Amino acid sequence: MLDRQPAVAHSRPAPSLRAEGITSGYGGVPVIRDVSIAVGPEEIVAVIGPNGAGKSTLLKSLIGILRVTQGRVLLGDQDVTNHPPEELARRGVGYVPQVNDIFEPLTVLENLEMGGYLLAPARIRHRVEEVGQVFPALPPMFKRRADKLSGGERKMLAIARVLMLDPKVLILDEPTANLSPKLADALLSEDVKRLAGAGKAVLLVEQRARAALQIATWTSVLVSGATRLEGPPRDLLQRADFEELFLGAAPGRSAAQQDEEENEKK
Amino acid sequence: MSIFAAAFGFGLVSMSVIAVAAVGFTMQFGITNMINLAYGQVMISSAYVAYYINRAGVTIWVGMIAGAVFGAVFSFLLNRLVYAPFQRKGTSHIGMVIVSLAVSLMLANLLLPIVGYFSVSYQEHAGNLVRLGDIVVTNNQIAIILLSVALMLGIHALLRYTRLGKAMRATAANPTLARNCGIPTQRVIDMVWLITGALCGLAGVIAALNSDSFVIASGAGFLITALAAAVLGGAGQPYGAMIGAVIIGLITELSAAAWSPEYKEVVAFGVLVLVMVLRPQGLLAKRGALAAAG
Repeated sequence: MLDRQPAVAHSRPAPSLRAEGITSGYGGVPVIRDVSIAVGPEEIVAVIGPNGAGKSTLLKSLIGILRVTQGRVLLGDQDVTNHPPEELARRGVGYVPQVNDIFEPLTVLENLEMGGYLLAPARIRHRVEEVGQVFPALPPMFKRRADKLSGGERKMLAIARVLMLDPKVLILDEPTANLSPKLADALLSEDVKRLAGAGKAVLLVEQRARAALQIATWTSVLVSGATRLEGPPRDLLQRADFEELFLGAAPGRSAAQQDEEENEKK
Repeated sequence: MSIFAAAFGFGLVSMSVIAVAAVGFTMQFGITNMINLAYGQVMISSAYVAYYINRAGVTIWVGMIAGAVFGAVFSFLLNRLVYAPFQRKGTSHIGMVIVSLAVSLMLANLLLPIVGYFSVSYQEHAGNLVRLGDIVVTNNQIAIILLSVALMLGIHALLRYTRLGKAMRATAANPTLARNCGIPTQRVIDMVWLITGALCGLAGVIAALNSDSFVIASGAGFLITALAAAVLGGAGQPYGAMIGAVIIGLITELSAAAWSPEYKEVVAFGVLVLVMVLRPQGLLAKRGALAAAG
């Protein structure tokens, strides 16, 4: 069950980062069309949807990796549409990609140092210690090459790396993609929740829709490059057509099968 | 005196020259993804810059600094004005190789009317002979060896301990993530071209100094040797290039002593082919300087 019940339905903080009707894609072919999304301090906004819906494209467009052809991206009240990724990093937007999320040939410590590249050299050492306290498993591995880490350790490093600059906005692209269900649950319900609790605006894309809805404060369902519906996860889960909306795109599952599963649960 | 001991001495000098050239070449590939076939031509152009300064009566050691500066500035501009615009347009890897080949040919033909067909050599006393057991080398050759060792240690320190060097390795490993960290990858790449260009220029001057005389066409030989050492060690890996240089340098000189100097490059490339067959990724594909230790 959800343990967080908003006192006032749909009341949300002022957005730290928001996209207004953005269209973007690869090589001129739009993958997402007219998508709007916003995330504010202490919020966890989960973007869910079937494979190929354009979830990763949306995130890459927000942080300047992919070119936005229409609409705009705002950081606070400033237009940062198509600003380069290094500028967004400097202005407090941290991004953890789904793959290639660490510098594999560098050591764990060097990865963190690169995460803190924009800090003064004296400040880096201090910040490494602070981040090491957030993820106590990391400091004993500082000298290890990052490509020798397990999937869970690797994602921990990727998130620790992005925390080096203490970003206001955290953008996570399928952080649980290569993790076991147990590790995935721990990452979402402990680490991600803790970061939002510390005041960060967290925007994440998730394949594990149910797990994401457990921690999200706001959800947006993306289907075929467009926002199909959005709202507090509780409302979404209560919709009769939610399973169909989200899971309908999964191949090999008919409505009848889903009904069966629903019956089994009861 | 054993002829092999003498050849070993020459091998030490050879490997020192090749190491400087190969490390610069392999770093360009490893960090900027550019197989710069104009490298040999920039080497020989720098050798000529040093030649004209030397001919004006200045010691070659000053000419060498001028050669390094020329190599650095030329390589930086070459990337900014030619390579980077093509890369931005999304030119394929093989397309970029052709572009660099074109640059190499243009450079050779621009140089020809200026420096002429005839072979030239530096006006520099070779220095006194130094005997270490059966090995006999000149003072100049010792200077080349020491310079090369110092440069290799410098490159090691740069990549391992400095903020810039780590940013170079990060950019090499994952350029998009480097930008997400706020690393100004464009400036990092500019620095790579300046540093590798200086190595290229220096290598050109010491290669020319180590051969009795040189012509424009020597540039092709310089490129091939640097390329062989770089590929042998694992393309893009500075430590691999150093090891490749040691192997190529020693084998060429030892085979020259045992067999005939005419075949020394044939032997070197025979070894390269053999290594490529047995270990196509090169000797240090996973453990070079662009990687972390351990």
